[in-house]
Parts: sequence; structure tokens; C-alpha cells
Amino acid sequence: MTPPPGESIAAMIRQTPVPPDSQTNRDVMNIFMTTPGLGWLLLVGICLGGLGGGAAVWIYQIYKGLGIAGYSHPIFWGAYIVTFVFWVGIAHAGTLISAILFLFRARWRNAINRSAEAMTIFAVFTAQLFLGIHVGRIWKAYFILPYPNQRALWVNFKSPLLWDTFAISTYTLTSLIFFYVGLLPDLAIARDRTTGWRKALYGSLALGWQGTSRQWKSHNRTVLHLSGLATPLVLSVHSVVSWDFAMAIVPGWHATIFAPYFVAGAIFSGFAMVLTVMIPVRRIFSLEHILTNYHFENMCRFLLLTSTIVTYAYFIEYFIAWYSGVEAEKTAFYLRLFGPYWLSTWIMIVCNGVIPQLFWFKKLRTHIPTVFVISTLINVGMWFERYVIIITGLSREFNPAVWGHYTPTWYELMIVAGSFSFFSILFLIFLKLFPVIPISEVKELVIHERAHASGQPAGAH
Amino acid sequence: MPTLLGVFTTPAGVVQAVTHLKGRGFTNLDVYSPAPFDEIEEAVDPKPSKVRIFTLVGGLLGVVTGYAMTIWMSLDWPIVIGGKPFASIPPYTVIAFELTILFGGIFTLIGLLVVGRLPSLKVGPGYSARFSAEEFGLVVEVPERDVAEVDGLLRASQATEVSLVAA
Repeated sequence: MTPPPGESIAAMIRQTPVPPDSQTNRDVMNIFMTTPGLGWLLLVGICLGGLGGGAAVWIYQIYKGLGIAGYSHPIFWGAYIVTFVFWVGIAHAGTLISAILFLFRARWRNAINRSAEAMTIFAVFTAQLFLGIHVGRIWKAYFILPYPNQRALWVNFKSPLLWDTFAISTYTLTSLIFFYVGLLPDLAIARDRTTGWRKALYGSLALGWQGTSRQWKSHNRTVLHLSGLATPLVLSVHSVVSWDFAMAIVPGWHATIFAPYFVAGAIFSGFAMVLTVMIPVRRIFSLEHILTNYHFENMCRFLLLTSTIVTYAYFIEYFIAWYSGVEAEKTAFYLRLFGPYWLSTWIMIVCNGVIPQLFWFKKLRTHIPTVFVISTLINVGMWFERYVIIITGLSREFNPAVWGHYTPTWYELMIVAGSFSFFSILFLIFLKLFPVIPISEVKELVIHERAHASGQPAGAH
Repeated sequence: MPTLLGVFTTPAGVVQAVTHLKGRGFTNLDVYSPAPFDEIEEAVDPKPSKVRIFTLVGGLLGVVTGYAMTIWMSLDWPIVIGGKPFASIPPYTVIAFELTILFGGIFTLIGLLVVGRLPSLKVGPGYSARFSAEEFGLVVEVPERDVAEVDGLLRASQATEVSLVAA
């Protein structure tokens, strides 16, 4: 070829027809670019109803005081704290999938990590609501932070509640950073293919990402380092939450097994929630070719593993209560099984310990309706696990003067239901605003496979 | 100097082209890639990314802040709690640990922005939406007299098309 004679040819070459867009782009963009259907609007409507109910009750509670909750001496931690711990637990799947499975190079995480990360963030937001709801006098909630004040008083850093504040705040921010960094290349993809307000939104969020090698290089490094930081963080957050209980001398709480027990339970419930949410999402948006049964089966294996760990922890708790010879501990655990809260305890044991064992069978692991039912039951069981731990512990302390009974009131249950609505609304909006599948990560696999399968470069689909 | 854009469909082709171009001394080049490929980044710039320094500084700053804040605040208004020393290291380790992660994470994000030169309002030469589809773009600045040679070199490395673009 002779040197081109300047602009005219260059202009001609520039008009080469642009090849059709990649299949992965189109598949994933279809999910969030299409106008929301009736089902979506209906779901949002229902959730708005639930959220409105919860919000109204909360406002009433702020006006009236915590008395409208079922708290009675000596039980002042009730459904709010139970649900707080539940949501913090749910929040563990996302970062675990993104960070730990990334470090282990588990390729199958690619299809699910975005939705799991989004769930992490929304679950942490939901959990944080309960800190505000539970303290009652919400206008004094900032007392928990070490801020300079006229009395020069500082917070008590020896209290597990302070550790919890720092752990949850760190987890929120780090998960948000992780989520955003992962989203960055996909935002650029969306920016290149949209117009109007969406282009403005994705364009400003994408920060001018163009996928240059310098950008990818620092991106890879960033993801690696964030994974390295987030791995111990995931394990620490629920450990710290467990110390809220384990550092107290309440029978049934004061156990060294609490940290690993809670972490396993958190991963267990988080994976169950990812399955409960993603099975319908996959069905509705027909993502079977990206989110395959292989992914779901692997997640079921995780459920089986963590269920076994949790069951082991249940067993060890009883064993230590007996082996310690401490009367209060023995009584606490006897009352769990046969006392006033026996139903909650048995729900917890059956849902978390017995039913997930069905996943030993490949037939059941790969049968999607069964997986959906079991994962939902696990969510129920994990809520009851926290209920059992918190309520039975507080209801029978060492002295008959501090024995009592707690039943959640309708107000509390409405706020709990409102929290589920809050979580669902955030996720539904996310589905229609951002790519629920990490496009560039899936594409990486697609390009790799194509290069290996043909040995010869094939054009874009 | 003219800027040439080569379009590729496989990372292997890009790596080959980058290696050849660099071997011929055309070092003013950049690659647009739809997904991360280590081999491309390695070929363009083999030096390790500087993001690591940001993470290290952030983490160290976090751990120091965590201990300094807790210890200083406990000593500023000393109250005996649980019979423990005012500056009690084991419980403060939890705070220091969390701040290590927090500062490390924030600094890593800053590192991504600084090292990756983001945010940027400039559209790179020859950038188009096809490079956020499934194709790779290699832009290289070459002197006028070498255009033909580089064009041939790109095509020899499996470039599906080569064009001149406005710098």
C-alpha cells in the first residue's frame, strides 16, 4: 500500500459500516433499557405500599416512643435487632462472591457477582435503617460517633457497639467502592449506547472510561487490592456483630464460637437470598444462557457447606452448655428446645440444618423450583435463628427477677415488612437502571472462549 | 504525526502488533479493550501498576489513625471502664483494623482515578462504541513516512481493518 494521500481517503475509510453490537451487550442492556412491564410496576406498587406502612409506623414510633414495640423488662432487644442482624447477614454474599471467589479465581462468580454486590449494598442500607429505628430517639443517633463536643466527652471504644458502628460503616463504604469500581466499565458500555438522560447519567458516572490499557491495568490492580481488603472485612463484620452478643455474659450468648458461627450463618443466608432473588430474575429476563444451572448448582453447594457448618455450631452450642456444667447455660439451651420459644427454635433447626441437606442430591440441586423453595425456607430459618439467639438469651438471665417474655407487636412486624419492601424497591430500581450482569467480565470469557474454540478470530456476533 | 487505528478481534493479535510496533520503536501507542486482558496490558506497559502504593499508604494511615484516635480519646477524658487500662490495645485493635480497611479502600479508589487518569473529558483518538462491544482498537502515532509500513505490520498481526484517524 502506498501512503494515503491525506484526508479524503481517511474520511472514506472512516465511513466503514460499524459491525453489529456484541451479543452480551445487547442481552444485558435489554434488561435495563426496556420500559418496565406491568409486573415490575405491580411489584414496585406492592413494595411502595409495604414501605409506606413501615414508614408510617416508624413516624408514629418516633412520636409515641419505643413503648409501642413489644419490649418489656428484661427484653429490650427485639424484632428490630433481629432484623438488623438478618440484613447484615444477607449483605455477606456479595462481597464474598466478589472478593473471596475472585481471589480463588472461581470463574463462575462472573455471572452473579454484580447482582450479589448490589444486594450487599441494599441489605446494608436496610440494616442501617434498623439502627435508627431501634435507638428510638433518632435525633440522638449521632451520639454513637466520636465527634468533638463541648463537654469533651468521647465514645467508649471498649464497647462492642462501637466496634459494630465502625465495622458496619466500613463495610458499607468499602462495598460501595467495590460495586462502583466493578460497574465502571459497564457504565461506559451503557454510555456508548444510550441517549438523553440515560447518556448523561451513565456518562457522568463512567468518568470518561474508554478501556485503555492504562485504565484496565489500574482497574485490575484496584479490584485485586479491594478484594484483598474486603476478604478479611467480610469475615470481620459479622464477627463484630456476633461480639455484640458474645461479649455479654448472657447465657446462650457468651461463647467463643459465636464469630465463626455468625460468619458461616451470614454467608449461608446471603447465598440463599441471592438464589431467592436471582431465580425469578433469570426467569423473567430469560438469562438462562448467562446465568446457567451450573451457577445455581455451585451456589447450592455453598449452601450445603455453610448449612453443615451452622448445624455443627448448633450442636456444639448444646454440647458446650452440657459440658460446661453451668446451670444457667444448661437451662438456657433446654428452654430453647422445649421452652416458650420452642417453635422458633425448631423452625430454625429444620430450615437451616435439615432441609438444606437435600442438596446432597444432584437431582435436587439442579431442579430450580426446589432450589427456590429451599433457599426461601433458609431465609425464613435464618431470621428465626437470630430471633432464637437474641430473644431466648435475654428472656432467661441468671435471676428470676430478670425473666420475661417477648412477642413482637404488629408495629414491629410492619416495620420488618417495610424493610423487605425497602430492599426490594432498591433492587427493582437497580434492575431497570444498571446492568445486573457484569458485562465486561462475561465478555472476557466470551472472547477467550471464541479465541480458543476457533483458533481463528471470528467477527463480532 | 498521523495516527493509525488498527481494529482486532482477538487479544492475541493485539499483543503481536504491540510487540512488533514497540520493537520497531513506535512507543506512542494505546489499546482500547472491551474487557481486561493481562497479556495486552503486559505488552503495552510491563511495569507494575502504581495503585499498590496508594493501597499501602491508605492502609498504614488507617491503622495509625485507628490506634491514635482511640488511645488519644481515651486519655483525653480518662474514665475507667471494665477495670481495663485507659489505653487498652485489644479492643482498639478492632477499630484500627476497620480503619485500615476503610482508608485502604478509599485510597485504592483514589489510586484508580489518579493512575488511570480518570475522570477524563477527552475522547481518545479513534475511540468509538465498537471498542465497548467486542473489538480491540490499537492506536499508534507514526511519522508520515512510516504509515505504509505500520499499516502492513498491523494487517500482518490479524488487524481486520486499519484506518487513519484524527489525533
